[in-house]
Order: sequence, then structure tokens, then C-alpha cells
Amino acid sequence: MAEPLRRCRPLLGTFVEVAADRDNAIEAAFAAIGQVHRLMSAHEPDSDVSRINRFGHVREVKVHEWTARAIERAFSWSKRSKGAFDIVAAGKAAIEHGLIPRHADQPLPEAAHWTWLEAQGACVRLLKPGCIDLGGIAKGFAVDRAVEAMRRAGATRGLVNAGGDLFGFGEEPWTVAVVDPLTRRPAVEFRLRNEAVATSAIIGGSSAHLLGGGRLLSVTVRAATACSADALTKIVWAAPANLRELLDQAGASAFGIRADGQIEDISAEALAA
Amino acid sequence: MRRSWVRLLPVVALAMPGSVQATVYLTVDQAQSAMFPRQRLVAAFRQLQPGEIAAIKKASGVAPQSKQLQAWRAQDGGWFIVDRVIGKHEFITYAVALTRDGAVRSVEILDYRETYGGEIRNANWRQQFVGKRFGSQLQLDKDIKNISGATLSSRHVTDGVRRLLATWQVVLRNG
Repeated sequence: MAEPLRRCRPLLGTFVEVAADRDNAIEAAFAAIGQVHRLMSAHEPDSDVSRINRFGHVREVKVHEWTARAIERAFSWSKRSKGAFDIVAAGKAAIEHGLIPRHADQPLPEAAHWTWLEAQGACVRLLKPGCIDLGGIAKGFAVDRAVEAMRRAGATRGLVNAGGDLFGFGEEPWTVAVVDPLTRRPAVEFRLRNEAVATSAIIGGSSAHLLGGGRLLSVTVRAATACSADALTKIVWAAPANLRELLDQAGASAFGIRADGQIEDISAEALAA
Repeated sequence: MRRSWVRLLPVVALAMPGSVQATVYLTVDQAQSAMFPRQRLVAAFRQLQPGEIAAIKKASGVAPQSKQLQAWRAQDGGWFIVDRVIGKHEFITYAVALTRDGAVRSVEILDYRETYGGEIRNANWRQQFVGKRFGSQLQLDKDIKNISGATLSSRHVTDGVRRLLATWQVVLRNG
């Protein structure tokens, strides 16, 4: 099989790489990712996310169908993980740690739980001042939309990689390497076909309060969609009691890379340790 | 039921010294035809003067990393600029297409080179490998294309684009 075309653009705060057997499919993928970037970036003051954060506590904010879908996916993971995945708690923490900006007319977040956010179709509101951060799911969501766009554009084989959240499709599998976050050297390699993988790493911070009690540097999840893989990496870190069940229900699997470079299967045994 | 899908790479691959992972997406020629289709581009390279460098830094908050400005003028008055940024572990060449009014039309990464590990700058660490032959087991330039790992920030490129917008304002606008 001929080498697919491969392009890379800076989007979603990272490097997004798209490979496909058709040029127009690559353009379609970037268009979808650009759209998600414009809708869900907390840095752009007029994105759907920023509009919710600026005045969602005062009035209903009408959002794009994709934003509504991403929020609905986030809610679903919040429920299933019993709050381990929480875009409202994440937004409050992101503001407090200066990871996302607070726009001039944006209130200080008070809400620290996802149930303070309400969505009915495309109408979203906050029951008290709060801040949502879709950073835990938007990259995966964008990858899935890009893959749909590529298929619609007639691609039979393609791969989208948004900063390590990736999905590969087609007859022939894609070889994917997971790198050690510390050294950036490849540590694990596998083949991916019509499936997603996402990695979430802790660098320069402490993971002592997270899964593995500081032993792990990154966790990688393989799942049916990039959105699920992305959300599940965050849930794996938080290690809720029903983690194993959640992974199984989603048909997903996970492993971690330890600070000493060893690979750890994230199973019931590992969680008990 | 979960199957085991993790395949560990041979230990020797984990122990390799700082090496470079390079990916070339587009050559300059390819980027020109992709970003300015069916337009003739005329090279308008120039050396940035100290006063211009200071003005660019003031306007964008980012100092030019090179005095050489690699810009081409398009038939429609737009500009095609090739630039390079150096991150903590990566070297990135990228191209920006600007409209005649100095707005960003598109950004493409041309090539991306990343060093594995911080050890590459550590001479002592590297010394231990001098004279050793890894033979075929050491895949120093193995082409690993699809990487999952820690999310890399594209901030250097975003800052670079902002600097090029200021460069247009200071240097190219009336050029």
C-alpha cells in the first residue's frame, strides 16, 4: 500500500496530524477539528465554552450541536464514573491554577460539581457561577468528528492524531507507539484498526493523589471511540471504585507507564496494590 | 474479557541514546502549491535590521529567532513565510500563508524533529555509548510515525505565528 498523505497543523493547543489516502479527506478532517477548536476553546472569548463560562449563570446559552453533544458525553461519563469525570470541577480547578484564562466579564467559579450545569438540547445554563473545561474530552471528540468527515469525503484509510489522542481506520492496521512521557522514547507498540487510543501524562506535577500513588507517569486507554478513550484516561487517573467495570462496559483496556519505565497493566490486581 | 494488546519493545530500544524522530510533512515547494494554489510566488528574502527586530519583539512579545526572513510574495498580494521554532525538545519548520491584509490564511507544519530524552545534551551520558556497536538492533532512526504520549504543546508555533504577524506589520506591509 502506498504511503498515505500526512499533514500536521497546530490546533487544539497541540499538533494535530492527519494521514489519509485522499487529499480532500485531509482537508475535511482539519475543517472538523478547526470547528471543534472554535467551539470549545476556553481561550477564545466567543467560543461556546467561553460564552457558557461568561454568562451561563445569568441566562441560557445557545450552543452548536457539537458542543451540546460533547457536554452530553461528559455528563454520561460523570454519571457512570460517579463524578470522577467532571467538566465543572475541572473548569474551576483550571481557572484556579491559571491553566485557562478568565475573560474580563467572566465571574469567579463557585460551582464545583457537574450537576450545577444543565443542558436541554442546545440550551445550556449554569445554576450558579461556574466554569466548564472540555479539555478532558474535546480532543477525543474532535478526532471522532474528523474521522467521520474523512469517511464522508471518501477516505478508505486514515488516521487522526490530536496530541496523542488518535483513531486509525481502514483495512490495514496502523502501527502506533506510546512513548515514555519522560524520555519521549517509544515504550510500547501496537497495531490499531478502527479503534482509538489516548494517553494522558503527568509531567512536572505530582501524581501522588492519583492512581498508582505517584508510581505512574502516564496512562493509556484503548477504546472504540477517541472521545471514550480520552475521557477514560482521566477516569483511570481518578481510579473510581468501579473502574474495572467501566473499562469492561466500554470494551476498553488500559495500561500505565511507571516512572521507572516499566509498563503496568491496569487491572483489578494493579488497582488493589 | 480483555486481551493483552501491549507489545513491549526490545530493551535495547529503550536504552538508546538521545536520537531524533523526524517527520517531514511538506517540502517548501509542496507547501507553496498547497497554500497558494495556481499562484506564482516571488522570493522576497531579506535580513531583518536591528530596529525591525526590536519593533517585532515589542509588538508580539516574541523575539525573532533568526535575522533571515524567508518570505515570498504571492500574485494576490498575500505572503508565504517559512519559519522555524525551537522548543524544549523539538525543532519545527512551519509555513504561514497571509492574506494581502496581513491576516492568517493557513498554517502548515513542514517538518517536525523531536529528540528522545533530555540526555542528548548530556555529553557524559552519551559518552558511555561511544564505540559501542548496536548493530541492527538499534533502530536509531526508526520511522515511528504514530505516537501517543504526553500531549505536546503547540505554543511555540502559536507564538511564532504571532511574531510573523508583527513581522508583516513592521516589514512586509509596505514592502
